[in-house]
Amino acid sequence: MRNHYVLAVIKLLAGLLLMAAGTSFAGQPMQANDMGLSKGSVFDTPTPKIYHYDNTPPGESKVLPRAYLGAPPQISHDISDFLPITAQSNMCVACHNQPDLRGKKREKGAVVPIPASHYTDQRKTPNKVTENLVGARYNCNLCHIPQTDAAPLVENTFSQKRSKK
Amino acid sequence: MTVSRRDFLKQSALASAAAATVGLPISEAAAAATKSAEAGWRWDRGVCRFCGVGCGIQVATEKGKIVATKADPDAPVNRGLNCIKGYFNGKILYGKDRLTQPLLRMKDGHFDKQGEFVAVSWERAFDEMEKQFKRTYAELGPTGIGFFASGQHTVQEGYAAVKLFKAGFRSNNLDPNARHCMASAVAGFMQTFGIDEPSGNYDDIEHTDTMVLWGANMAEMHPVLWTRVTDRRMGDPNVRVVNLTTISNMSSGIADLEIIFKPQTDLAIMNYLAREIVTRDAVNWDFVNKHCAFAAGPTDIGYGLRGSDKFDYAAEKDVNGKELTMQLGAAEATAQGKQAGATVKQDNRATPDKHWLITFEDFKKGVEPYTLDFVAELAKGDADESLDSFKTKLKQLADLYIEKSRKVVSFWTMGFNQHQRGTWVNEQAYTIHLLLGKQAMPGNGAFSLTGQPSACGTAREVGTFSHRLPADMVVNNPAHRAASENIWKLPAKTLNPKVGSHFTKLLRDLEDGQIKWAWVQVCNPFQDTANANHWIKAAREMDNFIVVSDAYPGISTKVADLILPAAMIFEKWGGYGNAERRTQLWREQVSPPGQARADIWQIMEFSKRFKLKEVWGEQKIPGLKEEGFADGKLPDVLSGSNYSPQATLYEVLFATPDNRKFKWPDAVAKNHDNHTAKLLGDHWFPEKALFEEYAQFGRGHAHDLAPFDVYFRDDVRGLKWPVVDGKETHWRFNEAYDPYVKKGSGFDFYGSAFKSLPSGDLNGITKPEKTSIAGKAKIFFRPYAAPVEQPDQNYDMWLSTGRVLEHWHSGTMTRRVRELHFAVPAALIYMHPADAKLRGLKQDDIAWIESRRGKIKAAVETKGRNRPPKGMVFVPWFDEGVFINKVTLDSTCPISKQTDFKKCAVKIYKA
Repeated sequence: MRNHYVLAVIKLLAGLLLMAAGTSFAGQPMQANDMGLSKGSVFDTPTPKIYHYDNTPPGESKVLPRAYLGAPPQISHDISDFLPITAQSNMCVACHNQPDLRGKKREKGAVVPIPASHYTDQRKTPNKVTENLVGARYNCNLCHIPQTDAAPLVENTFSQKRSKK
Repeated sequence: MTVSRRDFLKQSALASAAAATVGLPISEAAAAATKSAEAGWRWDRGVCRFCGVGCGIQVATEKGKIVATKADPDAPVNRGLNCIKGYFNGKILYGKDRLTQPLLRMKDGHFDKQGEFVAVSWERAFDEMEKQFKRTYAELGPTGIGFFASGQHTVQEGYAAVKLFKAGFRSNNLDPNARHCMASAVAGFMQTFGIDEPSGNYDDIEHTDTMVLWGANMAEMHPVLWTRVTDRRMGDPNVRVVNLTTISNMSSGIADLEIIFKPQTDLAIMNYLAREIVTRDAVNWDFVNKHCAFAAGPTDIGYGLRGSDKFDYAAEKDVNGKELTMQLGAAEATAQGKQAGATVKQDNRATPDKHWLITFEDFKKGVEPYTLDFVAELAKGDADESLDSFKTKLKQLADLYIEKSRKVVSFWTMGFNQHQRGTWVNEQAYTIHLLLGKQAMPGNGAFSLTGQPSACGTAREVGTFSHRLPADMVVNNPAHRAASENIWKLPAKTLNPKVGSHFTKLLRDLEDGQIKWAWVQVCNPFQDTANANHWIKAAREMDNFIVVSDAYPGISTKVADLILPAAMIFEKWGGYGNAERRTQLWREQVSPPGQARADIWQIMEFSKRFKLKEVWGEQKIPGLKEEGFADGKLPDVLSGSNYSPQATLYEVLFATPDNRKFKWPDAVAKNHDNHTAKLLGDHWFPEKALFEEYAQFGRGHAHDLAPFDVYFRDDVRGLKWPVVDGKETHWRFNEAYDPYVKKGSGFDFYGSAFKSLPSGDLNGITKPEKTSIAGKAKIFFRPYAAPVEQPDQNYDMWLSTGRVLEHWHSGTMTRRVRELHFAVPAALIYMHPADAKLRGLKQDDIAWIESRRGKIKAAVETKGRNRPPKGMVFVPWFDEGVFINKVTLDSTCPISKQTDFKKCAVKIYKA
């Protein structure tokens, strides 16, 4: 019986603490209009901003930092004249297909060679580097993307450790 | 060995490029550098959070945070490749504005719909949620509540949601956003095969010579499958790829043939192909006679609109009125063998899914009007293309399908599924493949792709739809209800036999006050649903209480009354099922931030607040009419049962004696945590227990899942169900691969739904006696039907909407990743330069996009990746700032109830 009382008191205290916690972490009330990626009311019609892709020509741009160790590099130069990639024409490959440059010190302005991984058919001949670019890697822009002059909509705290150049 | 910092950086960059993503042999120094960079990282298996492809990934954590992910080199789906979204599976967790505490709208310390959001404890949040629930439940009963579920719910979350709603609250008003994604595919499967989900698998790509995309921009929407298509196309000169689409898109790059057609005329092109197969005597009669039956259905089925103008804006009334009567245009009349100008009352609005058997002769009569001349004239979508060129392409398409030695796979996604006749056009794809006998074999088959990571695994297989129960069962079938009540140990007649409200109807119900309490999980319905102005107003201005569980604030949280902070994918245990029937499970990798909790915990914790006496007494269900039930009522099932009225739904549905046998901790965890189990605090393992309980539905019924632990074995990368005797099934319905096929039959389309049918002709049923077509698939004749809204003098352009490669759905995750946001920062109006010029617009101008339903602004893009023909614009929907669903039309396929987001009429003018 006594135990029941103790338990009840503990439960009550825990409940009060929780309620207290409920208000103590409350901080300032938040307006719905201040939430989300587009501030303002859901009934508003905002005017979108205009963004531009970096138009630095290939060879003049700086290699961008990777998002993290192992993330695909982003495209740091203008590609507007190089798209679309078609079965007949792939301007990315035309320039970046430089197996001889692999593993060598990169000269300023030199092309970044496509790495050995892209010459390895992981489906049919795993772990073997071949002479030809693997077909599965042909659509460069499924993984490598150019960047505009946008600003982040909201900060991201993902650890960038070991990913900066 | 010492490695300088500079060398280390160089080598780790090298190593990461060459090795980290594919696990290649690399130089020792580089390997060591990678190893040292990764020292302290724990790697474990996961599955991609985004589309329906279901790529395997590896997740690295360090000190309780995800620090990297990589594509799993051993995953058969993707073999070491991800798309650009897939590489950010880790980073999506770390947007600074993660929701980390419950937020309730309050004024003066009390809930107030007009109040501001105030952080509250979970206890306070559940108190209000319970109070509001019980108020509505007392007033309106089980039909007054609603649940917006998702194809991104894990298998276990979806299962818990179904069980709480259908078994606990006795409400079928639970429907997933997957309704918007593949409901037409489901209806197509069920009507054609009698069982859901594809016969083939992704290896079809490597086995086939011909791949035809119908309204599927795979390059952007299924990028990793597209790498496989591309590999096949580039590696064999005999391979052909065709892209049938209403706008020229990224997939056209690799295609040998691009066919631009007018919206909705895919129905006519399909019938042209069927007619060609018949007239060229290319029907595979051996296959058709043994394994198929011909069928047709009514055409006066409406357009899935409300059918009442009570809530219409003035401008909406004309189009919405066509829901009840439609005047046939010339082409549609020819296509349906009717009189042009005839007014057709849509008498089969309530029975759009009924169908009957017809003869081959009737089928032939049906496709007869679809000559090359008629179809080319109707379907040519690019004004700048000559009719002759278009005709040549159609002929080439027919040649590719018909060529005997050619294997063909047809792929489709939203172009077919989001379609006012979505079920029909899905069925037409099977019609072509079945007529040719090119189905259910390696490299041959019509293959419906899905959009969401667990549209198949959760929404379809678990059955989080308003009409479904697990393993393809439905609520309006007494045997299915009994089977479910048996597994769930429910008293007979606990389950509600009346089909609930589908996704769009849940929103309509909020608008007309039929639903006053709703819970949203893992989706963003107020941004995602067409004709959104109605729904956001209903949420904010009607007397209702809307709970939104989410990880980030978005449109739906902004209109919510209570926001519950949700754990994201790798912050909980879970499982997804992809589009090739592959089930993949993962462990909790990191803890959720702050007070965020898994959806499954939220469901179970809420269930503790209900005693059986509050839900299992007599309940009113307006309109319920079912054999064995009093009209409009669910019976009291508690009195005669062994359950105590005081027992909680948590005890009866979730923490059952059987489920408590699955103890937490468990060796399969390999020291990974489980915040759900810990918070519940009663030492059971909910994700494993519920998975095993759910698996009882499918085992022995051609939906067999393997035991939970098997999916975590080192040599397993997901398994394609049915998994029988430890073996997965690669091709269904084919005796060589599928253990459920009757021996000696060769092929056996064994699905049992809709396999006993009356007979008739193209106009209707003539012989009501039913014939069994067990083991057979149906070859449907489905005619061309014109879209309910088409461009006119005022709204003079077609609008189509969709995704982009870089963003997922409504963008709440991917737009918080810098790299993805910078790549595609805003949704644009993709339009033809001539159309822009005509309206005084040029690249980067801001324009209004206006329909009968609403208007928004976006920037003009005339040179981008999507190149619509004249008369058409394309606007992606990921951007809440370019809220395109305020403009779109909420017309659905009347059979599947899936919304057509691909066609409505708009005008574009300078802002």
